[in-house]
Amino acid sequence: MAKPKIASDWMAGCAGCHMSLLDIDERIIKIAELADIRATPITDLKEPDESGVDVGILEGGVNNTSNEEVAHRMRKRCKLLVAFGDCAVFGGVPALRNFFTLEESLRRAYVETESTDAEGKIPQDPELCKPTRVRAPQDVVPVDLFVPGCPPDPEVIYYVLSELAQGRKPVLEGDKLHWH
Amino acid sequence: MIQLTIDGQIIQVEEGSTVLQAARAANIHIPTLCDHPELTPYGGCRLCLVEVDGFRTPQASCTLPASSNMVVHTNTTKLQEARKFILTLIFSERNHFCPFCQVSGGDCELQNAAYDEGMANWPISPTYNPYPVDASHPYFILDNNRCILCRRCVRACSDLVGNHTLGMEERGARTMVIADFGLPLGSSTCISCGACVQVCPTGALIDRWSAYRGHVHESDVTETICIGCSLGCGIQVRTRDNQLLRIDGNWQTEANEGLLCETGRFQPMVENRQRITSPMIRKHDQLTPVTWEEALQEIAHLFNAAPGGIAALASTRLPAEALYAFQQIFAEKLHSELVTSTEEGKTTAHAAALARQIATPFEARLDALKQADCVLLIGTDLRASHEVASFFFKRKLLLGTRLIVIDPTPNPLNEFAHLVIKATANSDLFQTLQTSPTGDLATAAQILAQASHPVIIYGEGITAQPSANALQALVQYAHHIKASLMNLKGQANSLAASQYGLEKPFVLKGQSITYLALGDEQPTQHLIQQLEAAPTLIIQASHASALTARAQVVLPVTSWLEQEGAYISFDGRVQQAKAALPAPTNVRTNLAVLQALANCLNLTIENTWKEKLNQSTPAVQIA
Repeated sequence: MAKPKIASDWMAGCAGCHMSLLDIDERIIKIAELADIRATPITDLKEPDESGVDVGILEGGVNNTSNEEVAHRMRKRCKLLVAFGDCAVFGGVPALRNFFTLEESLRRAYVETESTDAEGKIPQDPELCKPTRVRAPQDVVPVDLFVPGCPPDPEVIYYVLSELAQGRKPVLEGDKLHWH
Repeated sequence: MIQLTIDGQIIQVEEGSTVLQAARAANIHIPTLCDHPELTPYGGCRLCLVEVDGFRTPQASCTLPASSNMVVHTNTTKLQEARKFILTLIFSERNHFCPFCQVSGGDCELQNAAYDEGMANWPISPTYNPYPVDASHPYFILDNNRCILCRRCVRACSDLVGNHTLGMEERGARTMVIADFGLPLGSSTCISCGACVQVCPTGALIDRWSAYRGHVHESDVTETICIGCSLGCGIQVRTRDNQLLRIDGNWQTEANEGLLCETGRFQPMVENRQRITSPMIRKHDQLTPVTWEEALQEIAHLFNAAPGGIAALASTRLPAEALYAFQQIFAEKLHSELVTSTEEGKTTAHAAALARQIATPFEARLDALKQADCVLLIGTDLRASHEVASFFFKRKLLLGTRLIVIDPTPNPLNEFAHLVIKATANSDLFQTLQTSPTGDLATAAQILAQASHPVIIYGEGITAQPSANALQALVQYAHHIKASLMNLKGQANSLAASQYGLEKPFVLKGQSITYLALGDEQPTQHLIQQLEAAPTLIIQASHASALTARAQVVLPVTSWLEQEGAYISFDGRVQQAKAALPAPTNVRTNLAVLQALANCLNLTIENTWKEKLNQSTPAVQIA
């Protein structure tokens, strides 16, 4: 049997979940033996194979039209989609801005920040993606597996990856289930 | 008894039990959120749903009375799905994002419930409606975004404390916990008892000190008693790395049934007096740190050259062991004429004298108050002195218990009273009440006569009078109407100080030295004024004050959370306090200081504090 292909990507998150992934340390070699690790944001190959992968992992919520593209691309190219970390499961920290209007958040970020000079203005370039309300990926594409945690614990990540690498769907319960 | 079947198990319970209680009695776990063992069932969260054969829909087990031959199922697939759906609705309604909540990780009942159901996500997106955060209160914060509308806080405020400050406004998703009719908590009728914070299952009500400083399982918990007054409330002190995090009421102790007042729960958190950490002697008009040896030698030296004798004054916040050691050193061994307490017997002396005279205790215990259907307060400000005691009748006022206040000055409990009589309580008043009352007194007499468990609580309005006549008339009147009589006394060890004879008025008669065992008591203005006339002052105290500033010798002692010892409650319960925090180095306990002083003076003192408590008939049975 061919090794399952695993790819990951990130959207509106802090990269902390991928850092927690690296915290599985030398065990990543075991994962690499069991699975074919393809595109990730921290490897040279950035986009998942057009020919498709078995497991797609997404960190972060969907924050703008660019994130939407990333989410749709991963969904289209993977068989099993994993929401990785609290932002991808619930929306997480970025989703806190949903308590304000988009206009208010942009003004705060680009105009009212203490470090911004009088020239501060909201970027309007038509080439830029459009910000949206922050959504959990499940509100944009169907998600098959949820791995909550802020970030997920390396032990949990290792368990999830080794199960997926061996073609099984991990079950998170008891000690492995953390939302924080 | 009723017999019912839960998950195939046949269970017998008392009539009137709920299905939830029946399941718990049989160790069958039903998840709950709005339920709290100390609160009236409310049926708000629906997490405790069960299926009952013959019932069309699942039922909330917390409010469903168990009935004969009921067949109940607690964990069917339908119920598991229902519980997940209920939790999903709760999570998606407000800001229940766990990563930035202080109770996440073990202390949140909502999160724990979701973990128990194996939920890795919630499938419905949140509404993202912002709700107000009320941070106007000095001790805690109400964050409506974290609220699950379980009403535990509202029920604690009304059903346990009887203060009715918290309530709900609006309907449906807009429902919110509010104080009074929408006032900020900080300017509401809240009495800062903190019961709401103690029962909150989520991070909606958080105190300002323990928040974000570690979970319950990471901290140490010491079960001890509060020494804020003579009630002796049971408390659980949470500490971490030798720092005080939080004080909770102990649900298991009878004195307070889990409730506390501002003094017990929050006062220790805002303690900001300067600590004394070394013995000091005044040299060249300057307090200078010295060794314990030097300080004790200096005291011995001063004692030996005291032509006018020594006056000695002890705080009634000291443990009984220390008070007895103090009494032996100064009264028995040094034969000082003026040995008393900071309370000067103002809350106890008349009652103690009367008890000795009639050779029988005449005061009732706290149980009487819990059963009372009519409470008469005479000259006592419970709000200021013994607030938790007032909860036991305040919470029953809407259920028929009557409250009468007799006080010459406005009493904070007047607003709860059915009848307020503005009068000084003297012997004439009680004679009138007994024989020929008119007007309000007639109404009061009638209410008292109709009660089956009347309780009279008297305070300094009677005990601090120069003569004992009023008390004698009151005791006679209480006997006449078969009322239980209570005197909540003063500070934590009022009764012990009284039994050790430390209850004379403090009047200096030329004594050249005053020894003040102040402990951690905050000296009153009255005490500071009284001691202005004292020529030489020696103080053992935990914190700096106007008195330590002018003392000749200062000995540093532990504060109440750092020392163990016995405390005798107002109704004679002997309780043991435990140390919850370590004392600073070079600081000794009050007892250790008095023992060292006795050694230095070559005096032998006994440790028979318990036997001596009953050397004379107390006003209330000591056990």
